[in-house]
Amino acid sequence: MRSVIAYRMLWYDRVATAGSILGVVAILFLVGQQLSTMFGLFTFMSVLVDHSGADMWVVSKETKNANAVGPLPERYVDRLIGLAEVEWAEPIIMTAGQTRRPDGKYEGVMIVGLPAPRLQGGPWAFTQGSLADLLDYEGVTVDSGDLDLFGNPQVGDILEINRMRVRVAGITHKAQGFGGTLVFTNRTRARDIADLPADTCSYILVKLRPGADPRAALARMREVVPRADVIPTGRLSATTRAFYIINTGIGGSFGTTTLISSLVGIVIVMLTMYTSVLSREKDFAVLRALGGRKRDLFVIVLYQGLMIAAAGIFVGFFLFALFLYGTRDTALPTYVPPWFPFVHAAFTLVLCLAGSFVAIRRATRVEPATAFR
Amino acid sequence: MAEPILKLESITRTFSDGRFVQRVLRDVNLAFFTGELTIIAGPSGSGKTTLLSIMGLILQPTEGRVSLRGRDVTDVAEEEAATLRLHNFGFVFQTPTEIPALPVIENVLVAHGVQGAKIPAALRARAGELLEQFGLADYAHSLPRALSTGQKQRLAIVRALLNDPGLLLCDEPTSALDAENSEVVLETLRSLAHEESRGVVLVTHDPRVMPYGDRVVELEHGTVTADSREGKPS
Repeated sequence: MRSVIAYRMLWYDRVATAGSILGVVAILFLVGQQLSTMFGLFTFMSVLVDHSGADMWVVSKETKNANAVGPLPERYVDRLIGLAEVEWAEPIIMTAGQTRRPDGKYEGVMIVGLPAPRLQGGPWAFTQGSLADLLDYEGVTVDSGDLDLFGNPQVGDILEINRMRVRVAGITHKAQGFGGTLVFTNRTRARDIADLPADTCSYILVKLRPGADPRAALARMREVVPRADVIPTGRLSATTRAFYIINTGIGGSFGTTTLISSLVGIVIVMLTMYTSVLSREKDFAVLRALGGRKRDLFVIVLYQGLMIAAAGIFVGFFLFALFLYGTRDTALPTYVPPWFPFVHAAFTLVLCLAGSFVAIRRATRVEPATAFR
Repeated sequence: MAEPILKLESITRTFSDGRFVQRVLRDVNLAFFTGELTIIAGPSGSGKTTLLSIMGLILQPTEGRVSLRGRDVTDVAEEEAATLRLHNFGFVFQTPTEIPALPVIENVLVAHGVQGAKIPAALRARAGELLEQFGLADYAHSLPRALSTGQKQRLAIVRALLNDPGLLLCDEPTSALDAENSEVVLETLRSLAHEESRGVVLVTHDPRVMPYGDRVVELEHGTVTADSREGKPS
């Protein structure tokens, strides 16, 4: 019966209830929009690491950001391949370059040179072409999201990077970088474009043999390349993201917006629920006089908080899904990890219940004697 | 003599705002019995509503004892007082106190379900019968705004009767009603006392109500000045 009372009161005060639901929707949608965008940027930050297919990365000492590495001697590859735990090791070149657009303007790009024939660490999704097309000496890929930067080229079109000719061999999908526009090519062409010495690379990807003990392998690798850092892929991904979050202010910016969105939502819920209880004080007094205990009124307003939260979360997720659908192929990066909807719903529920606390407090303090007035 | 359903002994009640202490009731001794309609009369400010609140375990007396069916309930905790109210008293307030968000039938059932108890089918049927008896059956699923003031007061009586209480406490139930509706309500309360052997206590300052009472208690400045019942305890 208490749940029926709670529901009936909410339905009767539809305007106030709509206001409370709006507060929950604000929390869910705004926080979801902010965090999904942040997660989207996260994926850009560590996109090369996350899609490398390697177990370990060998990088220059003190590397905190996988997109900013120092040169490594390529002879390290031989030392690493010699270890029993290592299945393969591939030296990758990463270097900055400039492409000239058809309108004559220059655009900065990040060139990633992949060693043939495996082309490991390369693009992972194509809308046109395939990884094997990078075996062509002049072949490069550009991402579908970056096409306008290159003047919307088609496969087979010729581009210019660092005043050297390249040919679009494939169009990738969601292979965009955070620090710059990613262009994949083979290592030979990358070395020529960047005019790099033949005995250096940017990082080495290492795959362990099946069944190899990662800890032991890590220790052995560190022994054979003592002047480099050997970092497990997952840790380098997290370190890279942390680097950007801390050093670019992204964390503070998104954190502040998320906090403000949450506060605005919680204040809306708090005020509307409190106002609703204030206007129903006589009803609560009557319920108390009839035999309702404080805890019964607590339960009634708590139910109201839960119902408002449920409705708000439902509407909020619907709008959030529309937002994600609407931005799926745009430049706005959005990504929702599988765990996020559950955590976000729980977070919103907790905020909503926190917002209803003031209303609960007011309702449980109503004196039954006021029913006589 | 039958045991009183409710007994007040030496009841005093004061209110304080921190600086001044106001004594609203002084040494009130009364006993209430089933089958009797008692009218507590007195001018405004005489302490009638405070007395009714103490009788209904809504307020605690500053001094004195309250016994319900022979049990001392003066100092029961707030939670237990609520449960005692639920099972022993029916309340009819001065102004209609229906909950506007609940349909008429649920306004009646709330008297049983406010503590979260499930509503058995038999009780739902009883609520329907009571609504029928009081001419409100057609409105069972309407919101109370469809009712006139007189109908709302009858709804309050139906709600008060749902749990089959031994004692009905009514605070000026006719003050918002016209003469015709007042008569209906007062006749109903009298028949509840006489035909269903309930105790009915009615607080009023309206002299037109007096003829309906089996017993009239007069309250002035918080003190019982007259009690028409033989062997009055004060």
